[in-house]
Amino acid sequence: MSDLVLPIVFPLLAAAAILLLRRGAAILALVGVALSLAASLKLLGAVASGDSATLLLPGLPDLPLRLTAEPLTALLSVVVAAVATCVLIYSVGYMKRESGLPRFFAVMSLFVAAMQALVLAGDWVLVLAAWELIGLCSYLLIGFWFQRPEAANAASRAFLYTRSADLGLYIAIFTLMGAAGTSEIAATLNVDGDTAVAAGLLLLLAIMGKSAQIPLQDWLMRAMAGPTPVSALLHSATLVAAGAILLIRVAPLLTPEVLLAIGLVGGITTVAAGLIALAERDLKRLLAASTASQYGLMLIAVGAGVPLAALLHLLAHAAIKSGLFLAAGEFQHARGGTALERLRGVGRVRPWTFFGFALAALALVGAPPLSGFFSKDAVIAAALSAPSVAWLAPLALAGTLLTGAYLARALRLLWHEREEGENENRSVAGARWMGLGVWALVIPAVFLGLTFGPIEALLGLPGPGDHGTTAMLFGLLAAAAGLALGWLVPASRLLGPFHPWAQSGLVIAGGLSFWIGRPAMAIAYGCQRLERGLYATVLSVGRGGFFIARGCGRVERGLYAVVLGTGRASLAVAHLVRVGDERRIDGLIFALVASVRGWGDRARVLQSGWIHHSLAISAVVTAVTLIILLSASLSF
Amino acid sequence: MLPIVSLTLFLPLAGAALILALPGPTARTVHSIGIGTASLTLVGALAMWLEGVSGAGFSQVEELEWIPAIGAAYRVGVDGISLPLVLLSAMLFLGAFIYASSLRERPRAYVALVLLLETAAIGTFAALDGILFYVFFEVSLVSMYFMIAGWGHEDRQRAALMFFIYTLLGSLPLLLAILGLYLGSPDPSFDMRAWIANPPLEGAAAMWALVAMLVTFAVKIPAVPLHTWLPAAHVQAPTVGSVILAGIMLKFGTYGLVRFALQMTPEAFHEAGVVVLVFGVIGALYGAFAALAQTDLKRLVAYTSINHMGYVIIGVAVAALALDPSVRATALDGAVLQMFSHGLVTGALFFLVGMIQERAHTREMGEFGGLLKTVPLLGWSFMLAAFASLGLPGLAHFPGEFQIFLGTLGSVPAAVVSILGLAIIAGTFLKAIRETFLGEPQSRWHSMPDLSLREVLALAPLLVLTVATGVAPSWVLDTIHRTASALVL
Repeated sequence: MSDLVLPIVFPLLAAAAILLLRRGAAILALVGVALSLAASLKLLGAVASGDSATLLLPGLPDLPLRLTAEPLTALLSVVVAAVATCVLIYSVGYMKRESGLPRFFAVMSLFVAAMQALVLAGDWVLVLAAWELIGLCSYLLIGFWFQRPEAANAASRAFLYTRSADLGLYIAIFTLMGAAGTSEIAATLNVDGDTAVAAGLLLLLAIMGKSAQIPLQDWLMRAMAGPTPVSALLHSATLVAAGAILLIRVAPLLTPEVLLAIGLVGGITTVAAGLIALAERDLKRLLAASTASQYGLMLIAVGAGVPLAALLHLLAHAAIKSGLFLAAGEFQHARGGTALERLRGVGRVRPWTFFGFALAALALVGAPPLSGFFSKDAVIAAALSAPSVAWLAPLALAGTLLTGAYLARALRLLWHEREEGENENRSVAGARWMGLGVWALVIPAVFLGLTFGPIEALLGLPGPGDHGTTAMLFGLLAAAAGLALGWLVPASRLLGPFHPWAQSGLVIAGGLSFWIGRPAMAIAYGCQRLERGLYATVLSVGRGGFFIARGCGRVERGLYAVVLGTGRASLAVAHLVRVGDERRIDGLIFALVASVRGWGDRARVLQSGWIHHSLAISAVVTAVTLIILLSASLSF
Repeated sequence: MLPIVSLTLFLPLAGAALILALPGPTARTVHSIGIGTASLTLVGALAMWLEGVSGAGFSQVEELEWIPAIGAAYRVGVDGISLPLVLLSAMLFLGAFIYASSLRERPRAYVALVLLLETAAIGTFAALDGILFYVFFEVSLVSMYFMIAGWGHEDRQRAALMFFIYTLLGSLPLLLAILGLYLGSPDPSFDMRAWIANPPLEGAAAMWALVAMLVTFAVKIPAVPLHTWLPAAHVQAPTVGSVILAGIMLKFGTYGLVRFALQMTPEAFHEAGVVVLVFGVIGALYGAFAALAQTDLKRLVAYTSINHMGYVIIGVAVAALALDPSVRATALDGAVLQMFSHGLVTGALFFLVGMIQERAHTREMGEFGGLLKTVPLLGWSFMLAAFASLGLPGLAHFPGEFQIFLGTLGSVPAAVVSILGLAIIAGTFLKAIRETFLGEPQSRWHSMPDLSLREVLALAPLLVLTVATGVAPSWVLDTIHRTASALVL
């Protein structure tokens, strides 16, 4: 079933076409995403009628890339494409006055393609590739206005945070592949024992990075320096969602220990991020903190062993949060900023958008019968049915209460005028496109609850058990209490002494930059010092070499002199010898000859026939010889 | 049948001879001959690529008698490990000639020297005879020395001398090892194929030979702590010198690590594998951290090379240690692919840093800011190469690093700590990009020109292949895997 690649290929082609043609960027991107949506819907239709399919693509040796169409992946693919379509429609208006549109729309299209690859991936290599590519796209989009230092910093920080956490995913994947002997996701989920615990915890690390869970939440707040549609896409269906999506997909792998860890991370995040949102002075940053808090709720659901509840909340949140962001973007254009103080009373100026914003906000709080009511109900029911109910249920309810409080506070600020004179209102270019985008998301945010029944049936995952009524009561109570508190009591009084700390993002002693960034730089500078030392050592060894060489040179010169001297001396000797040859040796020889003759004469005298003479001489010679031999033998 | 390997190998030398033979050629003629010769060489390399390799052993072997008395012969050929490196060399050299075609300072000597270097580089990868290998290995060293000393920056003499003495001293142990292998072989011969098929040394002799080889290749790769010549040489070398030094000559070390150490003394390497692995891990982490501390773009890229070469060492060590042939093939695939990718990516990065330096006469990232606005083409090219270098999927380094880490976790899980390097290198490049290309554009660089056609032509093939290797690594990995999976150790 080669249809499987279509949801990925269409936006990818759109991105390539935009980069090549450099015109009609918005239309090309819209066409690409719309086709991707159509392909996803077709896939979902095929899967709903009982087909499931796998497509193998060439990858590394023995590790083919794999796409899988099953109910979960097809459903997520539809969600990604649908949200992206709405966001792109909105972007046409929002980006009307910007330059660099080809870059914006090309990267947005690439982003959608990468996210589609992530949700449809059937093997770990493709998951990892897509996972990192959405990180790259976020970097490029958050840093879209790269000339602004805060955008450049936010982009770098987002990429670095998520990449560092991604190392967990790398090692988890290697562990799983080593244990299962294949990269196919479905096959690796049967791993158990210590391997499963290790892999689960490592995956949790990567997920915390992407889904901005405490203490890795900081980058998400700063990412608000990017264009608003980017935030909408990031928070609802792509980057941040990727974490929760991965968690839902690997749910069968998770052991009780890992589940507890996931639940606690989610619980702590939902409360802490809720507090941050409550103290926030900027609408977009408030929504960002809210995102971290809502993903905390999804982690609670997974930790409670009910990934279905997490999925439902993910779907509801996708529509709601992107709608909220898009509305916030319109407010931003109307008032030239997103500080809550600046946005006071903007709701009266742009009532339709405010109405959409309010509906989406109420849906997120969990007001019946909006979509968030059902999904939050499922999360709370899951927490109540969990083995670790004592931990998870209070945290989930506190998260719900805080959701009500910060959204009620935001609504109040957006609606009420400032006492001392109005803010200046601007006309909004492209307001129609933007309004269309907002309402295209608010409507599903309202009605999505209707689809939850069929989705449960389609996926065939277990529901949250039979705490329905209790969960609903508790949930409604918490939501109502939150709304009332947020509307009536100012945040500074609600938070009391925690208010400044929450405003600073609940940073503990300088945050991650202090605990990880600074040590890393310290090691780096340590290496740099070592490097200088090593270089100096090598140089001094080199100098030592030269010194020795120079010493050798001196010795060499000395030796040369000696050799030269010796040479001269030998020449002199040779000269002498030559002279000697000519004079002495000849003379010697002549003298020898003469003396031999003389001796001969004498011998002739000795051998004159006189025997006694001969005997006497023999006796003397023998005696002398004996004396010599004796003295020689004595001396040894 | 044409002797393609020999033609490819000696074409550049013929070009150099032609340049030297011409009476008083103009700079234009000289550069044209350089580009023409390098193009023909690339055609030859492509012909070799199309010819391909068979599984085990060497393909396209060409042999001639040389010194029969001692069993030395002219023997060349390729396998899946050397063929990608030959192709890489031919591509990088062509880019280098195109990039340097604006050079007006003694162009005749320069082009002849680089052509000589090209023959030496291809010869090092294609040689199948111990003596021949050593000759090419040393000739490359001499050419690079003259290149740095003749066309480098301010302090070039000292850097060139340091590079020369360091690597020359470093290469002497290899000569001893080669002689050891020669004396140890049953019928004395310098045929590397025979040394690979039946490793001639055993026991302590093999271990000593291995240690000697490791010293030589550790200097060349370079492995920490024998790496200090590298940043010094890069900082002073001309751009093309850096591109070739990092893109090709560092691979002599890693290639030798596979061809000699792993294939000719496999048992000793298996025993000493853990030590080599530790050096690889230290190199990868140390290079990453040292890169993080740099503010000079060229030094920064130089240190990331140490990090990437650390991964190659890890891959080869894992291949030596692994008992499971599939794990070994994976690690070796990764190591060879990483060499290839590093040539593409680091070559591109050094070109880009050279282009920045040519325009601004500085490489300090603190001096820049907002260049992406001023020189978008250069900026985006740098970002592409930087993200490739930090191992982003879809770009050249990812498949190789993935395989290396996969193999590592499959045999020596503790060594996977080197994966931290990925995050540190990411931080390094993000910082460099932010300081240099993002932020408010500075008025002093407003008139900086963007890439010229010459620069685009030098750069584009590398960037295109960076993407191609990342998206569809099989185009080169198939060749590598054919040999890596058939390797018997």
